[in-house]
Amino acid sequence: MRTRNLIAALAFAGASMLAAAAHADNFEIDGQHAWITFTIKHGIYGIAHGQFDGVKGAIVMDKADVTKSSVKAELDVGSVHTAFDQRDSDLKGPDFFNAAEFPTISFESTKVEKVDDKTGKVTGNLTISGVSKEVTLDVQLLNEAPAPWDATLTKAAFSATGKVSAADFPMAKAADGFGLGPEVDIVIDIEAVKK
Amino acid sequence: MSAVLGNPMVTTAALPLLLGIALALLARFALPAASPVLALFWAALLLFFYWDTLGPPVMPPVAASQKLIYLAFAGIVVGLLPGRMLGRGTGFLAAIAFAAAFLWLGWRRLAGGSLDLQMIAALAVGLSMLIGAAMLTAQQPSPSPPAEEPFLAPAAVLALSLSGAIVSVLGASLVTGQLLGSIAALIGGWCLVQYLATLRGGAATLWSEGVEFLLLYAAATVLIQVALLAPKANPAALVLSSLPPIAAVLVRGRLQSLLPGARPLRPLVAGILIAAPAMLAIVTAIVWAPHGAALGFS
Repeated sequence: MRTRNLIAALAFAGASMLAAAAHADNFEIDGQHAWITFTIKHGIYGIAHGQFDGVKGAIVMDKADVTKSSVKAELDVGSVHTAFDQRDSDLKGPDFFNAAEFPTISFESTKVEKVDDKTGKVTGNLTISGVSKEVTLDVQLLNEAPAPWDATLTKAAFSATGKVSAADFPMAKAADGFGLGPEVDIVIDIEAVKK
Repeated sequence: MSAVLGNPMVTTAALPLLLGIALALLARFALPAASPVLALFWAALLLFFYWDTLGPPVMPPVAASQKLIYLAFAGIVVGLLPGRMLGRGTGFLAAIAFAAAFLWLGWRRLAGGSLDLQMIAALAVGLSMLIGAAMLTAQQPSPSPPAEEPFLAPAAVLALSLSGAIVSVLGASLVTGQLLGSIAALIGGWCLVQYLATLRGGAATLWSEGVEFLLLYAAATVLIQVALLAPKANPAALVLSSLPPIAAVLVRGRLQSLLPGARPLRPLVAGILIAAPAMLAIVTAIVWAPHGAALGFS
């Protein structure tokens, strides 16, 4: 009798764990539908806009317990563009993103908090030019649904905003207010494919 | 005052030029050339310009730009060693120090494994700096130095720094350009006073081995960083910028017989010959500047 109870308890625990695991969905960032954009002060005048095209990464979304969700993403510094070739190549140079030494920017979440059913805060380490700083992004789940043209393809779309200071990273000319910076506003819109 | 010090033209050109003049006057009238106090003044000024341009040191340094001040500090430590400890081993020490600096600054680029034009230029710059520094620092002062001898090493570092600064700025690496510009202006101020002294019939003050090493090492490591990490810097101009130390070794001892009666002219001719590759570097960088020779950020 005691053995039967133990087996039943173990089976229940196992089933509960499986059910919990089943809530965590894995997504892969869809690089063709990702807009990692930023705005930054341009000299003493206006606001410059830029975008990274090369992004890849993975999202784990646990709807039952959002705190168990996570994000890991990597940007190709060489893909940055700001609608002017000379500025783009300057941005990849040693005074800014230093692409020759650090060809990627990475973000890895350390904490995910739920705000309401569709919004949350994702805190993580943003690594630029080899230096990691903690940043918090306000994230909104825009939608999660099967594609109208392919029921086997499920995608989720997220929108996120955040702020960083270039002065926190080894980006000398963005930090001293010479040309661009130092405060950077980030706007991210990505779609991710459920695996 | 802070607005004046915040102006890059002041800290890159005017202030170091004045400080170089002040240091030269100090060496002429107050301190012997081999005085460790004079070497300490050079070291302090060098660190001031590093700090002003690159910001305070970061521990641990991650990016190559953060490593530069530590390399300068290492050069200063070697440069402050007593002369008898440096002696004839300085050339060998310089070769080791340059190889170590190249590997430390460029290991991420080297690990990337791509042997593109920029990497080939960086290797050429590193090798040329290593050979030039080893040859230049291995030379012992002549028992009765000719008029141009005290100018050979300063002219080499000045030419390297000035052309490196222009190549760097035109290659969209402004910070290293400013730093090299500061070093060039500092040494320019020194050379100006020493040359005026030569024109008045006096003898110019010779750099001690230690000062020669710390200044050459500082300027050369910055140039190596530009070669490794500034993709827009002209590769040919970078290689030409690294040649003045070798030119200084080649010029040594040759002018006395060529221009025996022109004592005041010899430092000038030596300087022009040593700076010839640097002048070519500047012309190359301007003519083939990626976006024209316009300065400033886009």
